[in-house]
Amino acid sequence: MCNLIPVAKTVGANRIVPTISIPYPLGDPGTSREDQWKLRYHRTKVALESLATDIKEQTVFRV
Amino acid sequence: MKKAILYVNQFFGQIGGEEQAGTAPQIHEGQIGPAMQFAKGLDAEITHTIICGDNYMGSNTEEAVAEILGMLEDKEFGIFLAGPAFQAGRYGVACGTICKAVQEKFGVPVVTSMNVENPGVEMFKKEMYILEGGNIAAKMRKDVSAMVSVANKLINGEPVGSAAEEGYFPRGIRRQVWRADGKPASERMAEMLVKKLSGEAFETELPIPKMDRVPIAPAVKDLTRARIALVTTGGIVPAENPDRIQSASATRWGRYDITDSAQLCSGEYKTIHAGFDPTAADADPNVITPVDALKVLEKEGVYGSLHPYFYSTVGTGTTQAEAQRMAGEMIPYLEEDHVDAVIMVST
Amino acid sequence: MKLEIGNFYVKDIVFGNELSFKDGVLIIDKAAALDYIREDDRITEAELYIARPGDKIRMCPVKEAVEPRIRPDGRSIFPGYTGDLAPSGEGVTYALKNASVIVVGKHWGGFQDGIVDMSGEGQKYTHFGQLNNIVLVADTNEDFEQNEQQKKNDALRRAGHRLAEYIGNCVKELEPEETESYELEAMTRRGSETEKLPSVVYVMQPQSQMEEPGYNALVYGWDANHMLPTVMHPNEILDGALVSGSFMPVSSKWSTYDIQNCPNIKALYREHNKTINFLGIIMSNLNVALDQKERAAQFVAQIASSLGAEGAVVAEEGYGNPDADFVGCIAALEDAGIKTVGVTNECTGRDGQSQPLVTLDEKCDAIVSCGNVSELIELPAMETVLGELEALARDGLSGGWADDEILGPSVRGDGSIIMENNSMFCGDRVCGWSPKTMKEF
Repeated sequence: MCNLIPVAKTVGANRIVPTISIPYPLGDPGTSREDQWKLRYHRTKVALESLATDIKEQTVFRV
Repeated sequence: MKKAILYVNQFFGQIGGEEQAGTAPQIHEGQIGPAMQFAKGLDAEITHTIICGDNYMGSNTEEAVAEILGMLEDKEFGIFLAGPAFQAGRYGVACGTICKAVQEKFGVPVVTSMNVENPGVEMFKKEMYILEGGNIAAKMRKDVSAMVSVANKLINGEPVGSAAEEGYFPRGIRRQVWRADGKPASERMAEMLVKKLSGEAFETELPIPKMDRVPIAPAVKDLTRARIALVTTGGIVPAENPDRIQSASATRWGRYDITDSAQLCSGEYKTIHAGFDPTAADADPNVITPVDALKVLEKEGVYGSLHPYFYSTVGTGTTQAEAQRMAGEMIPYLEEDHVDAVIMVST
Repeated sequence: MKLEIGNFYVKDIVFGNELSFKDGVLIIDKAAALDYIREDDRITEAELYIARPGDKIRMCPVKEAVEPRIRPDGRSIFPGYTGDLAPSGEGVTYALKNASVIVVGKHWGGFQDGIVDMSGEGQKYTHFGQLNNIVLVADTNEDFEQNEQQKKNDALRRAGHRLAEYIGNCVKELEPEETESYELEAMTRRGSETEKLPSVVYVMQPQSQMEEPGYNALVYGWDANHMLPTVMHPNEILDGALVSGSFMPVSSKWSTYDIQNCPNIKALYREHNKTINFLGIIMSNLNVALDQKERAAQFVAQIASSLGAEGAVVAEEGYGNPDADFVGCIAALEDAGIKTVGVTNECTGRDGQSQPLVTLDEKCDAIVSCGNVSELIELPAMETVLGELEALARDGLSGGWADDEILGPSVRGDGSIIMENNSMFCGDRVCGWSPKTMKEF
């Protein structure tokens, strides 16, 4: 899980789930606690599901 | 004077051609074949020449290496040379193989030479100085002289110049150097720009290397039974940073028990990563290490179970070699606990 | 727009009874200068020193460097920062050359601070080792950040800028030894001869990655984090519109001195009307989220295209994730058909074996490389230390460490040091000074 997709691609990560920024990947402090939780829960779930997904090439999962 | 030992194959060792390629290793006192050419310029005395058949080394590598290392056991030498191997594939691989083994066992510098087409180049160029040599033995004098130039620097403890200056294959090492002409970056930039604009040839100072490719791990078969671990390069640690992980260029990592934590609490955990504004992660460490979400998703049965520790280091300025080493140190813990997959959060 | 910089060459600096400049000697009334600095009541302790090339002096933790200047017409030399907001880049500015005000923390350092050596092996690692420096060593009451690794260094940095302007006053009424002239007509009115030449923009990516105010580079006093790329005149940059910030390992930093003298801009000026048509600056920034990085790159490419640029130069003030801004910007320009050269440093590790930039793109085929941030440097003890050397090891400077199993502490009992290039003050000189390059070994 990372924000800098180009970096993840360059270093060879295969399952990539985007996060929202460098200092706070999974929760924007400018939004409500509830919104942060929703975002974090959702993206973490996508990351889990990506691990169970067959891929043929480097894949950036949609969030 | 320091002492040197040279390795050559059966042909250059004057035993014979292809029909003698099965010859087992032998060591001779003194200088045989190319050794005499080396002796003219080398700042060390070549005391012995080792000769081994290319096929023997190729087909019985382990034995050949062991026999040669055994022969060297009681010898005193400060540098080990092999070749030049030109375009001869088996000879090149043999030179690389024995140089690597000698370097590891005796800790002495090694130097060899091969043509760019020699398969030994790709196999060994990162491990030793391989001078870029000619394709045929007629280039012997030139190739030996290039090897001697580098070998003498190693013998005399002088710095070896860059790959381009010395003519060896780049070993995958990039270092800063002061330009002899002191030409500032601004002038180099202007020259490069004007050439690029006018379609003239120019030389970048940072050739873009080939991107790393990692084999794709197969998908987890049944997520609802999978054991998952959480790893981060975002520097989340207990507030007192018990493992003293560095804030940049990290060489240390830590793992922290989250068995009884429903989430990571501010004040108990913080980030020590110096590469970004820590305010948000210090206020809520879960924005980097989503322990709270993983605990809920575990309860909901989305996946099987969470490994009881999360693993943390700092990514900024951390070298690939250190990162690989740290990952290598984490993996046994994960394997021991039968972890099926890892979520890695980077910042 | 036409800028004339009147130069006064400083051959020596001495302390005396009045602030003056005579025959190349800068005389400073120390007590009066310190009184001026203490007008900011955050400054609790302050002392001035002189450090010339060859002196056995090491400075640490160095926070900022500024060229002393004055504007004869009374405008501030850093409009919107040390004085009222006003346009810069037009008219006359006076500069004291070969001289710099250097600000050093009396005790506390941070991630973004560094080292300057005035002699010995360490001298060549910074531009400031070659200058006549007025060194302000001071402490402040900013207790809230005393033990923070990331420091705004606001009081100290402002003191440096104010002192540079204060000292500049000594040449206000004098005739400069020489005058450099920088003039560019409006982009659309350059005449057919100039317009035949390929047109070029210089894209600057100053450090702006902190979301909290107080750390980032300022453009006319405005936080560069809060802007989208915009067009500026090169003269504005040479004339104080851009002030350096306080974030990022310091070998990557562009000090205010570097910006005032930006060699890359001067090199493009030299080529103007000869080999290129130097259109001007696109002032971009560095960001912390991918969409921000991509948006900035898109703006830069659009502006460059709209201006009709055929070539561009991109320079980044940083490494690590800023490489994504840098590479993304070059790729966007190349995609727009604009031939681009990049200027950067690299992070290949102490062993030299790491990937040079964290993100790579084959479109970046013309890069000038200025150094390796993680090169290990070992230097013997220096007779005099200005500041507190222990800060290098104690305070989380990016190139220092408290202890290491193999290397030991960065600062040893005998005063010798071992550090990464990361903490050489503005050492990689991506602004254009760098005599260093990167080679394969």
